[in-house]
Amino acid sequence: MKIQIRYLFALISLAALSYSCMEELPTELEFSGYEFAALDKDAGEWNLILFSNNEEVVISQPSAVGSPGLNQELQDAKAKIAKATSSQKEAVNYWTNNPLLRWNEIALELATKYNLIPAPNADGSYPAPDPAKPDQYPLFPYSHPPYTSRMLAYLSVAQYDGLIMAWHYKEKYGRPAPYELDSQIKSAYEANGLNSYPSDGAVVAVTSRDILTAMFPLEKEFLAKMADEHLESLILAGINVNSDVEAGKLIGNQVAKKALARAATDGMKNAQTNKVKSDSIKNAAITRFGWSWENMETPQRPVGLTPLFGKVKMWNVPTVEEVRPIAPPAPGSAEFNKDAEELKRFANNMTTEQRRVANFWNDGLNSYTPPGHWNRFAKETAVKYKLSPVRTARVFAYMNMAIVDAGISCWDAKYYYHYPRPIQSIPGFKTILGTPNFPAYTSGHSTFSGAAAEVLSHFFPAEASQYKKWAAEAAMSRIYGGIHYRFDAEIGLSQGKKVATYSVIRAIKDGAETF
Amino acid sequence: MNLKLKFLSLLLVGMGISILTTAQTPLDGLMMPKGDICVAVVYEDANWDKYWEGTYLRTNQNVGTFNRKMVMPMIVGGITDKINLIVSLPYVKTSASGGQLAGVEGLQDFSISLKAQLVEHTAGKGKLKVFSNLSFSTPASNYLADYLPFSLGFGANELGLRAIGLYELDKGPYFRISGAYLHRGATQAERDFYYEDDAFYTSTMDVPDALHAQASLGSWFFQKKLRVEASLTSFRCVSGSDIRAYNSPQPTNKVDFDRLEGFAQYYFNNVKGLGVLAYYNHMFSGRNMGQFSGYGLGLTYQFNAF
Repeated sequence: MKIQIRYLFALISLAALSYSCMEELPTELEFSGYEFAALDKDAGEWNLILFSNNEEVVISQPSAVGSPGLNQELQDAKAKIAKATSSQKEAVNYWTNNPLLRWNEIALELATKYNLIPAPNADGSYPAPDPAKPDQYPLFPYSHPPYTSRMLAYLSVAQYDGLIMAWHYKEKYGRPAPYELDSQIKSAYEANGLNSYPSDGAVVAVTSRDILTAMFPLEKEFLAKMADEHLESLILAGINVNSDVEAGKLIGNQVAKKALARAATDGMKNAQTNKVKSDSIKNAAITRFGWSWENMETPQRPVGLTPLFGKVKMWNVPTVEEVRPIAPPAPGSAEFNKDAEELKRFANNMTTEQRRVANFWNDGLNSYTPPGHWNRFAKETAVKYKLSPVRTARVFAYMNMAIVDAGISCWDAKYYYHYPRPIQSIPGFKTILGTPNFPAYTSGHSTFSGAAAEVLSHFFPAEASQYKKWAAEAAMSRIYGGIHYRFDAEIGLSQGKKVATYSVIRAIKDGAETF
Repeated sequence: MNLKLKFLSLLLVGMGISILTTAQTPLDGLMMPKGDICVAVVYEDANWDKYWEGTYLRTNQNVGTFNRKMVMPMIVGGITDKINLIVSLPYVKTSASGGQLAGVEGLQDFSISLKAQLVEHTAGKGKLKVFSNLSFSTPASNYLADYLPFSLGFGANELGLRAIGLYELDKGPYFRISGAYLHRGATQAERDFYYEDDAFYTSTMDVPDALHAQASLGSWFFQKKLRVEASLTSFRCVSGSDIRAYNSPQPTNKVDFDRLEGFAQYYFNNVKGLGVLAYYNHMFSGRNMGQFSGYGLGLTYQFNAF
C-alpha cells in the first residue's frame, strides 16, 4: 500500500509539472508604438511612384485651431476616449503609431492562407481558381510567389504615395495633434509633434483595406472589420480627430483606386495561360535550345505556374530582356554534370545544418513565400531603426517593387529557357523539398532574395552583410533541398541584384536622401 | 514464468501497434516479479495508400503507397512484484512508392515507463486487477517532426498516464479495458513561420494532447501456451487543426483513428523463456493521418537476473 501511495504521488507531481511548461506562441511581430528617429517633415516633397503631384488628391482646408468646429471634434474625441472599452484599448496598442507594419503582417497572413495549390479532379484534370467565382474551389487567389510579390508591391506603393501626400498636407496645413491642443487628451504613443491633418493612419488603413480586398476578395468583410477597428483606434489613441481621419480616408481611397487601375492592366490576368499557349512556349524553347521542362507530378499538371508572368509590367526596369540572364549550361554538358553531381552528393550526405537551411527558407505552399520572408525582415528592421511611417513605407515600396520586378525577370528566364528540374534530369533523384510547378532556371528564391537584399542594404548599410548572407543562404537552400542546380541559384542571385539596382537608382534620386 | 512472458508479449503488442501516435506505453494487465528481466525485439511493417485530409479519405499519387518499417528493441524489468520498469527504443524507416520526396530513417523516441499494480482480488470464477502506468518518451535523434508524412514521430516529449482494468476467468478468457491521457510538449520545426488558423512567428509547434482507449477480448489456450486476442483502439487528439486542402500535414494537426487488431502469442515448451508473437491491425476510421494496415512479428526472451 505504501508503494502504491508513493506511485500515485509521483504521478500527480509529474502531471502538474508538465502543465506548468505551456507557453503562448507569438502570432505577430512583437513591438509597440515607438518614438520615431525622425519625423521626416519634408517627405511631402519626395517623389511619388504612381502620382506625379502631391496635391493630385485634393482635401479641403481643415478648420482652424480654436474654431468651434475643431473644438467640437476635440470634445467628441474626449467623449470617445472616456468610454473606450478594454478591447478598444487593446486595439490602440495593437495598431501602434506605425500601423503599416500591421497591415503588412495581415497581407502576409492572407498570402499564406491562400497559398494552396489546386488538387487534381477525379478524372486527373486540374481545376484553376476563377476570379469571377472566388469562393468556388480552388479558391481565388492561389497566392503563389508571383502573386504575392505583385500584391505586396501594390500594397506598399499605394501606402507610400498616400503617406507622401499625407505628409505634404500635414506640413502645408500645420494642424497640431489633439493631444497638443487639449491637455486632457493624452497620446497613447510617444508624443512626437507630428501634425495630425490628414491622419496618416487613416491613409494606411484605407489604402491597405482597398488593395488587399481587391487581391483577396473573399476577405472583404475581415478587412473591413480590421480597417474599422484601426480607424476607430486613431481617435481613441488621442492622435487624431474625426476630420483628420476623414481626410486620410479620402486620400487612401483615391490612391488605392489609382494603384488598382494599374493592377487591372499590368498583364497579370494573362499570366496563367491555357495549354495551347503553354505548349507553344515550351516548343519555342525546344526549337531554341533542344530541351524543355516537364511537370513531374501525377497526374501531370498540364500547364506550369504563370507562364506569362514574365510579361507583366515592371515597375522600374524598362524591358525585361535587358535583365535576362545568360543561357544555362546544356543538360549533359560538363558544367551541368558537375552541378548535378553536387546535388546527388548533398542528397546522400545531408548534414543537419544543410537540412535546417533548406527548411528554414523553404517558404513553399501554405507559407508567406520568399517575398513575404523579406517583408518580415524589413518590418523587424523598420522597428529597430525606429523609422517614421513615411520612411517605413519608402523602404517597403522600393523593396517590393524590386522584388516583383525580380520575380517578373525570373519568370521571363524560367519560361524563355524552360529548363528541366533535377527530378526530371537526374534519374531516380529524390528531394527533401517539394519541386514547384515551373522550370528551374533561374531560382525564384535566389532572384527574390538577391533583389530584396540589395534594396535593404542600400537603406540599411550597417545591415548589408547580414542581408547578403541571408540572400546567399536562401539561394543555397534550394540546392540543399534538391530542387535547384547551383547555376540556377548563383545566376538568380546576381539577376535579382541587377534588377534591384533599377529601384535603388530611383530611390537615390527621389529626394529622401538629401540629409 | 508463463505469466511474465505473457506480460511482456502483451506489452510488446501494445507498444508495437501503437508506435506511430499512441506512444510506447504498455497496455496489458500483467506484471513480472522482482528480479526478472525480459529482452524483446518486434519488427513491424505498415502501409497506407489513402489518408484522411480532415475526415475526407483521399489518395495522392505523388505519395502512392506509403510504407513504414520499424524494429523495436525493448527491455522490461521487475523492480518489485508490483512495480515494473519498461524501456524501448524503436528504429523507423519511411518511404513512398510515388512522387520524388525522400523517405527518412533513424532512431525514433526513447520511452521509459513505470507500471504499478494497484488492485487484485478474486471475483466470481476469476480475478479482477487494476493497474496504472506512467510513461515518458522523448525523441532519441534529431529527426524532423515537421516533415510529414515521412517524419519518424511527432518530435516532442510525451507524458502519459494510463489506467488498466482486467477481468480474467480462471479458465482462460479475459476482458481488458484501458484509458490514457497523453500530454505532449512542443516540437521544433526548422522554419520559424507557419500557419495554424493564424500566422505563427515561431519554430515551436505545440503537439496536441491525446486520449487513448482500448478494449480487448482474449483467451488463453493449451495450458497458457497460446494466447489470442482481438482489440479495438481509439485515439483522439484533444485539439489541433485539419490538414489544409491538398497540403502536407503538420505536427499541430488533430490526429484521430480507430483501429481493429488481432494478436497471437506462443511460448515454447522446449526452450525455457522463449516466446513469439504476431499481430495484424487495420484502421477503419481516422482524421489527418494515413489509413494504416500493418503486421508485426516479435521474439521475446525472459530470465531471472537478480
